[in-house]
Amino acid sequence: MSLDIDSHIRHSTRHIGMPAPRREDRGPLTGRGRYVADIKIAGMLEVVFVRSVEAHARIISIDTSQASALEGVTAVFTGADLADVGAFPDYIEYIGPVEQRPLAEDKVRYVGAPYAVVVAVDRYTAEDAAALVAAGTVYEPLPTVADLDQALAPAAPRLYEHWESNCSFDVSPHKPEVDRAFDEADHAFTETYVSQRQTGLPLETRGVVADVADGTLTVWSSTQSPHMVRTTVASMLGVAEPQVRVLHPAIGGGFGTKTHIYPEDVVVPWVARRLDRPVRWIEDRLENLVASVHARDQRHDVEVAYDDDGTIRAVRCASMLDMGSGEIFMPGSAPVFVTNACITGGYDFPNMAARTVGVVTNKTPSGAYRGFGIPEGAFVMERIIDRVSRLTGTDRVESRRRMLLRPGQTPYVMHGGGRLDSGSHTESFERAVEMVEPALRLAEARYADDPDVRVGVGYCNYVEPTAPSYHLTTGHWGGGDAATVRVDPDGSVRVAAGVSAFGQGVETAAAQIAADALGVEPRDVTVVLGDTERTPYGLGSWGSRATMMLAGSVLLASQRLMDKARRIAAHMLEAAESDIVLTDGVFHVDGSGRPSVSWAEVGTAAWVRNVDLPDTMEAGLEASGYYHPENLQHQLDDEGRINAAASWSNGAHAGVLSVRVSTGEIKIEDYIVVHDCGTVINPALVEGQIHGGVAQGLAGAMYEHFQYDSDTANPRFASFMEYLAPTCAEVPPLSVEHFESPAPEQPLGVKGCGEGGTVGPPAVVAGAVSDALSEWGVDLTECPVTPVAVRAALRAAAAAAAAREKGGVA
Amino acid sequence: MKPAEFDYCRPSTVAEAVTVLADVESARVLAGGQSLIPAMNFRLTDVSVLVDIGGVEGLDAVACDPEGVTVGATATQTRVLDDDAIAAVIPGLRAALRHVGHLQIRNRGTVCGSLAHADPAAELPALAVACDAVLAVSGPGGDRRIRAADFFSGPFWTTLEDGELITAVRFAAPPAAAMTVVDEISRRAGDFAVAGLVAVLEAGDREMRSARLVGFGLGGAPTRLKEAEAVFVGWAADHPTDVIAEAVVADTADAFDDIHATGWYRREAVAALAVRAARRALNAREDA
Repeated sequence: MSLDIDSHIRHSTRHIGMPAPRREDRGPLTGRGRYVADIKIAGMLEVVFVRSVEAHARIISIDTSQASALEGVTAVFTGADLADVGAFPDYIEYIGPVEQRPLAEDKVRYVGAPYAVVVAVDRYTAEDAAALVAAGTVYEPLPTVADLDQALAPAAPRLYEHWESNCSFDVSPHKPEVDRAFDEADHAFTETYVSQRQTGLPLETRGVVADVADGTLTVWSSTQSPHMVRTTVASMLGVAEPQVRVLHPAIGGGFGTKTHIYPEDVVVPWVARRLDRPVRWIEDRLENLVASVHARDQRHDVEVAYDDDGTIRAVRCASMLDMGSGEIFMPGSAPVFVTNACITGGYDFPNMAARTVGVVTNKTPSGAYRGFGIPEGAFVMERIIDRVSRLTGTDRVESRRRMLLRPGQTPYVMHGGGRLDSGSHTESFERAVEMVEPALRLAEARYADDPDVRVGVGYCNYVEPTAPSYHLTTGHWGGGDAATVRVDPDGSVRVAAGVSAFGQGVETAAAQIAADALGVEPRDVTVVLGDTERTPYGLGSWGSRATMMLAGSVLLASQRLMDKARRIAAHMLEAAESDIVLTDGVFHVDGSGRPSVSWAEVGTAAWVRNVDLPDTMEAGLEASGYYHPENLQHQLDDEGRINAAASWSNGAHAGVLSVRVSTGEIKIEDYIVVHDCGTVINPALVEGQIHGGVAQGLAGAMYEHFQYDSDTANPRFASFMEYLAPTCAEVPPLSVEHFESPAPEQPLGVKGCGEGGTVGPPAVVAGAVSDALSEWGVDLTECPVTPVAVRAALRAAAAAAAAREKGGVA
Repeated sequence: MKPAEFDYCRPSTVAEAVTVLADVESARVLAGGQSLIPAMNFRLTDVSVLVDIGGVEGLDAVACDPEGVTVGATATQTRVLDDDAIAAVIPGLRAALRHVGHLQIRNRGTVCGSLAHADPAAELPALAVACDAVLAVSGPGGDRRIRAADFFSGPFWTTLEDGELITAVRFAAPPAAAMTVVDEISRRAGDFAVAGLVAVLEAGDREMRSARLVGFGLGGAPTRLKEAEAVFVGWAADHPTDVIAEAVVADTADAFDDIHATGWYRREAVAALAVRAARRALNAREDA
């Protein structure tokens, strides 16, 4: 690997690998964090979006006169007023075409779709006016589709009349070997697994502030990808890109929901230009639950072929994604492809035939959420393994052992082309199994006297594609990223990068990488992110890519800087460049500490005292690196296979849960994570990512569920009274351990770690509860696992047993 | 999520408050505001005037004697929860309040406000019914007292008349030998109950002597479980639990379906809570 720390650096302390304290926490923790909602501009007006209350309807007319007449209202706009604005791009060819206008015009396809906008002196007035616009809207309601079955029914009402059905895409692999395995296997079963609809739920909702001043349209947006917002806004509004500046101040979480570019990102800047006034829109929580993307919501119709000895011979899996209305940019199609790509986890299981289907319904568009399809697939695979183990009397740990990739088996190409470059698949699982045993004994002892409680164990082995291609998701962007590194005259280092920070600790990691790459201390490094004017073009942070992109781009830029700095130092020291090394921030001739020049002296020569430079050298000490992972593929090969990730992390989760039989109450007694994300830049940050990820994974396993009325496709939620996000009281302490299998082809061996935490919990919780209730034959197939679901499963098991008994007697 | 326009007043006497409440249509009482303000922000509740009773002197009074506890209209849940003397007289109050919301909510939320709001899944209304609480009410027609059993008439619905204000509630102390169990199934800490039970139980050496059982989260209002109460009397730990479960299920025919649970789940869950409560009371007696 050529991209590494410059060999001329002799630093007495390495910062990579140290648990450096987070530099970005002081503001938020002391109440001085500055978010989009904290931005105040003199004369700023408030924007409120008027949203559809119909799940599927034609808009016949919108009477805005009453709203416009309200005191304090500056303007009311509908879709017709935005005729000069382009539609959102639609780059992906293999999904159903959607022409998404910035505001819905003739038709609305989900409750929450924005179709008008009110501008007023304050939010109170704007909401009063929005209510008047809503009252003045005449709809022609259309029949709705609220789920996959309704959407795919032969006579289903279509969301897009020019489509043949509500199916956006349906892709099947050609796998004759799977058919053969089914013919040869001893047994087969079919099952349906369901992962419910959720969302990323950042603490800070979205928000956009826009202002035109001195010829620049400035847009503050709570986004994970400011450069992509700039490109899109500029193109849709017809403004030259250099005249648009997009930046984000502090962000209170994104979790994927803020990777999308939303109508508000375009309409708010349009309003600012149209009125020539600063304007702002802050998403409230009611809006957030219907107007920011949803996720998961997949159904998996599975056929499994297996032998008497517990061998799983082959699986056919139709993975069906409910995309909601599909009106979102980037489209929400990609997660189900990731589900299928990753469904076999860390197992050596080529005989997977996974069909990938996307369907539109009258619900909020679905899109990105931490995990991005991986948890749904892991849930299916682990439930299948548990089922086959039970059917054949095979130990569940043994079943997994037989299938897991062993040391030395990487690089391994998965059934869909994913190339597992490295990993500790067997080692992580074995360690988790070791850790679970005492936890299980402890829990069993705890409830030994309570006949109402049963205890069980659940497992999940997964892989996490990190630093993925964005071409598959967007049909447009690639998968690399940039950093510009500068050493100033005082020797301070400035790193500006295209990735974004929204709570992960990216700035801390960037400073650690740059410190080692330039032989300085992290405190000497200033990190600049999240501003298109101050950072090189980059794709932002998502897909567990930020640290990998930083490692690559900062190293590339630093190497260029080091080369130049050593030339300057050699000139100043009147020595040969090849003899110059850098020790603890000081350049000198190798083997002799004096004379020496510091980074400040080199920086001063480069920028100020140009007389100290070699004659032919250009001034300046700044370099950029654009890093693109070598083996990252962006397009499917002829067989429909692709390795769409730069590297693959892995992990094993295990949990010990207790279940109260009479009430179905579930308690997590112990939760274990053994995790491997290659070289760890900062163990504290990795731990934080795992904890947060598991919390969100448990949200999916046990709590969060967007439910819709099946007759009307109306949301059955409006607040946190209905959408149950776990709080600190619900998230158990975790036991976390690490393996480090460096990514062989990545700079520093780094892999991403942002999403793995979310992957395990659904499989672990369903597995453990099913294990605990195995004496009744309970085998859960759906998330969330709630007390009601547990009791329903027990009732169904009792009914089945009664029916068997009756049949037996007869 | 901003409220529609409303007026605000802060009277200094009960009489002033009652006058506004009686004279102005859609005037609403603001005590802790923990349910009312969100409802206003969602524009679910139409409020013309918010009558903030926080300035009425003496309404926050809390009095405790061996026969019972009186809690004034503006006394917060935290004030009552933290009071050891109250917990000694009516242990059920502390037990119930521990299930109410979170610290921040209890710091503002009031005991009387929770009763007035009459959420069918709330703990305090059920406790009030179980403890034979009496509400003191002032209105345009003068003062009157309403027994808790006659107060809750449906979901978020009470027998309070237009213009009336709850000024205090008096909880009667349970018999000295009784144990009060407040137990519930809730999805998360601090949530309203999916299903809950308040049980005031007197256990004998071997068997139950008396029982007062009130379920919540089941129907429109706190549900007195009368068949189960009959079964409880004379029940002992070695008796089958089916009889309790069957009686509870018979008592809770109105249990409703919603986004969090089904009616049958609620009935089963309260039955399990009743069995749990009976065992606890008998075991406690045994331990003593």
